[in-house]
Amino acid sequence: MQMILNDSNESQLIAKADGYQNTEKPEQAQQTATESHDSHAAAAVPGDRSDIFLKLLGKLSDHDAFYFGAYKVTDLPKIYIDDGFDFYLNTEQAVASGKYRVEEHHGHSTIVKTSTGHKPAIDLSITNFVLFEWFAIFICAFIFKIVFNKYKKNPDKAPKGLQNAIEATILYIRDEIVRPNIPSRKVADSLLPYFMALFFFILTMNLMGLFPGAHTPTGAIAVTATLAITAFFVINITAMRVSGVGAWFHHLLGGAPWWLAFIMIPIEIIGLLVKPFALTIRLFANMTAGHVILLSLLGVLFFFNSVYLSPAITAFSLFIYALELLVAFIQAYLFTILTSIFVGLALGSHGDHEHAAETAH
Amino acid sequence: MDSTALAFLAAGIGAGITVFGAGMGIGRLASAALEATGRQPEATGDIRTTMIIAAALIEGVAMFAAVICLLLAIK
Repeated sequence: MQMILNDSNESQLIAKADGYQNTEKPEQAQQTATESHDSHAAAAVPGDRSDIFLKLLGKLSDHDAFYFGAYKVTDLPKIYIDDGFDFYLNTEQAVASGKYRVEEHHGHSTIVKTSTGHKPAIDLSITNFVLFEWFAIFICAFIFKIVFNKYKKNPDKAPKGLQNAIEATILYIRDEIVRPNIPSRKVADSLLPYFMALFFFILTMNLMGLFPGAHTPTGAIAVTATLAITAFFVINITAMRVSGVGAWFHHLLGGAPWWLAFIMIPIEIIGLLVKPFALTIRLFANMTAGHVILLSLLGVLFFFNSVYLSPAITAFSLFIYALELLVAFIQAYLFTILTSIFVGLALGSHGDHEHAAETAH
Repeated sequence: MDSTALAFLAAGIGAGITVFGAGMGIGRLASAALEATGRQPEATGDIRTTMIIAAALIEGVAMFAAVICLLLAIK
């Protein structure tokens, strides 16, 4: 069972399902040799497959090398900052240096310092998710470069194909998401590039996880938290820039009399922090939930160990896959529109006056 | 029952209650939005946008609960 679950590739999972009853090939046996014997004993007991779901869930977490599906393409550098800057090309090199060692528990390994037994203070290692995030950046840049060249070549022609799709999306973001929600036209247009980047970057990352073998960077809470922290700074710095720092601090009172400050200021500060927190959890949970459901459906096959279930599981998986496609677009849209609504709320009354003045003439 | 079994039980019951609440919320929201669209078909676009945002807020709360259930089940 360990052997089956060490591969995240679905076809391999299915191919090895026959080898479930301890009839594994020699090279696979070697793979499992590192695993403890008691897990094999547990796997031999029919009916005890309770940890199958947890093992599948581990496939969604980050890896320290570049995996495409179950195949390890290359090692990724490890970068630690803990009494000095350490750079290693791979885990073996880090272990060989003697400063770090690999500690195994609950089936997954972590790197700890040899001297203290703790994790390194700052771990800047390039991981699988980071690499897929970079791929998302390159895909975005590549697509926009193509569209940009087309505009340069035929500035007076009607757009078609990819150019048309991108133009329609950009216009939708500008006219339906950013401008209606941010009261001041000037502020809305100055923030437009940020919202464009946000939408296309999140959309690319969401859609990437639907390719077989690829991973979803937005399925990592660190990625969504970074996006939400960026949004937090955009929201508050815009508010400070437009209405002034004094007005921003005055806003913390929430319009209540000064003697209520000791209640209002904590509440308003929580209100400021809960917005990026909700953005983080919403994107992360939505992107992870779809994968968890897919893996649970696949887990059902192994749980019942029956081939007759496969048509039903395939149909359900396809349905969930289509749903995930929808969710990928909806979540990118929601992150963008909620950020723009929060910017609009943070601008408050000041933006309204400007808007009134603008619509007057 | 040991503590692990209780944690699994809590996660299962919690997920059920979460789905019940979120389903009620989104169901009421969708019924109100459909009614509004029926009364005023020309405002369909605005109603849809507002509905999706409200649905996202409800879903966000449901997701908080789902994450708590997941943590109960895997820790």
